Amino acid sequence: MIIELKDVNKSYPGVVPLHVLKDINLSIDRGELVSIMGASGSGKSTLLNILGILDNYDSGEYRLDGNLIKNLSENKAADLRNYLIGFVFQSFNLINYKNALENVALPLFYRGISRKKRNILAMEQLDRMGMKDRATHLPGELSGGQKQRVAIARALITNPSLLLADEPTGALDSKTSREVMQVFRDLNAEGRTIVIVTHDPGVGEQTNRIIRISDGRIVS
Amino acid sequence: MKNPIFDIENWREIGTTLAQNKTRTFMTAFGIFWGTAILSLLIGGSEGLKYFMGRNFEGFATNVAIIFPGRTTKSYAGFNKGMPVELNLQDVVNIRRAIPQIENSSALIYMWANVLYDRKKASAQMTGVESNYDKIFEPIIHEGRFINDADDANFRKVCVLGKQVAGELFGTGSALGKDVQVNGIYYKVIGVVGQTSEINIGAKMDESVFIPYNTMRRSYNIGTRVHNFMMTLKAGYSPSEFETLVRRLIASNHPIAPDDNNAIFYFDVSEQFKMVDNVFLGISMLALFVGVGTLLSGVIGVGNIMWIIVRERTHEIGIRRAIGAKPRDIIVQILSESMVLTTIAGVAGIVLAAGILAGAEKSMFYTIKFQLTFAQAVYILATFLVLGTAAGIIPAVKAMKIKPIEALNDK
Repeated sequence: MIIELKDVNKSYPGVVPLHVLKDINLSIDRGELVSIMGASGSGKSTLLNILGILDNYDSGEYRLDGNLIKNLSENKAADLRNYLIGFVFQSFNLINYKNALENVALPLFYRGISRKKRNILAMEQLDRMGMKDRATHLPGELSGGQKQRVAIARALITNPSLLLADEPTGALDSKTSREVMQVFRDLNAEGRTIVIVTHDPGVGEQTNRIIRISDGRIVS
Repeated sequence: MKNPIFDIENWREIGTTLAQNKTRTFMTAFGIFWGTAILSLLIGGSEGLKYFMGRNFEGFATNVAIIFPGRTTKSYAGFNKGMPVELNLQDVVNIRRAIPQIENSSALIYMWANVLYDRKKASAQMTGVESNYDKIFEPIIHEGRFINDADDANFRKVCVLGKQVAGELFGTGSALGKDVQVNGIYYKVIGVVGQTSEINIGAKMDESVFIPYNTMRRSYNIGTRVHNFMMTLKAGYSPSEFETLVRRLIASNHPIAPDDNNAIFYFDVSEQFKMVDNVFLGISMLALFVGVGTLLSGVIGVGNIMWIIVRERTHEIGIRRAIGAKPRDIIVQILSESMVLTTIAGVAGIVLAAGILAGAEKSMFYTIKFQLTFAQAVYILATFLVLGTAAGIIPAVKAMKIKPIEALNDK
């Protein structure tokens, strides 16, 4: 069991507090390819942020790879993000003044790995994504699909137990979307656990399990 | 993570970030550059001003009292008021006996003189001095030596020429050992002197001829007369402490009313120096005031820019945190960037200021010293470094308060 949520609640404070996640119970096994689907505002992105330790939750329990994720210090959270999780975002979130290679290598910088070793590993990942010849390009010089490949390479370089993708195809055309989804399927075939948040049924269909979320509750 | 200072990776990361954001880097650097340059110029300028003023007093002891006679303003002991007072050797002996705190002193007499050598002639002020005179009013010895005890005690016919007088008589040649005629009597030249300060007692040293006091009074039938008397006091004593005593000593030797303060002038140079010291203090305070102001506005500027940079980079910080950067990594990165910038821009600012100051020194008509000392330059840099870094801490820490997800959503 890599992900285990028990009665997780989350609300955003305000004049009228917004209860976005209501008693979420969810478990995901190692090696699964799961999609979380729901309409806009259903709470699926909040759920993903909690899974990725980017956001906290109010009550309940979340265990990631056996670690209880609750009231963590920012340092511990940073370590868990670095060692356990790889992120892929809709808007890629590449650092625009660093070239593809440097972007991919950055997570290893925070592990204190030497530049030489980092760059070798980053080049391997880019090669796997078919982006070796674009290694020295800045993100601004890459197409959307290429940027997403760089982002996936960056997510994989730390060899994480869990890959989290937030609308990874949201900014891509249908052909590129299919290619990116193929990448995810290939990675899953290698045994990697992947959770994809999407509102696109076409993307959901390509995963092995669909978790539907509506109005803060898991409906199926 | 390892200690960031010894981690080459950290420096590479800083280098790339700064190099890739040229406009931002330049704007920040320029603020610091300007601040250090202005501060350095200010400090250099005030040093130069102080040096320029201080030069006026160089070679002149600061705790000097000069005593010279005036006219009585009260009738006393059967004499009418308005009688000119003449000091004599007895007064000098009395003063020296009564005030053991005197360090150096000299009786002086003056006379205008024509100095002749070969067929050349120069006008000068002849001054009869005792051997300690050069310790009260330190000359620059261009050649030979000043008058000593033996010259004075043995009535030697020797003289020390002022630089200008020597120049008029001997041109560029040496004056030493030559015999010059001063008001009809021959003296052997034993030295050539000049002065650095702008203080004159009588004529400038350069335009004077010095001969031993005893030689002078014997040669020109001056008797025991003394035109004025100069003395410096041992450390810890100020001339003003002895004014009353000196007046009383002189009054006891002449028909002067004890309360007639105009009969004798007692000129306390240290009082004048106190005024000058206050001017110096004023200059320093002004420089400090403006300097602190410059520093403050510089630091606020750096702090502002750091604030904007951190705001601008919130999204990037979010990305870095999502992939595993710890708060410390981010703070270290932001602060190291600002430190590297401050150091480079600060050094550049100081170098520019040093260049301008050096140029100002060269273009000046006088010899003047504007330049910063190395220690001053280091202090300026260190101050900017510490304050600039401190100014960056607040926005950096503030940036850490934002949750990673909020930082990521900040566009």
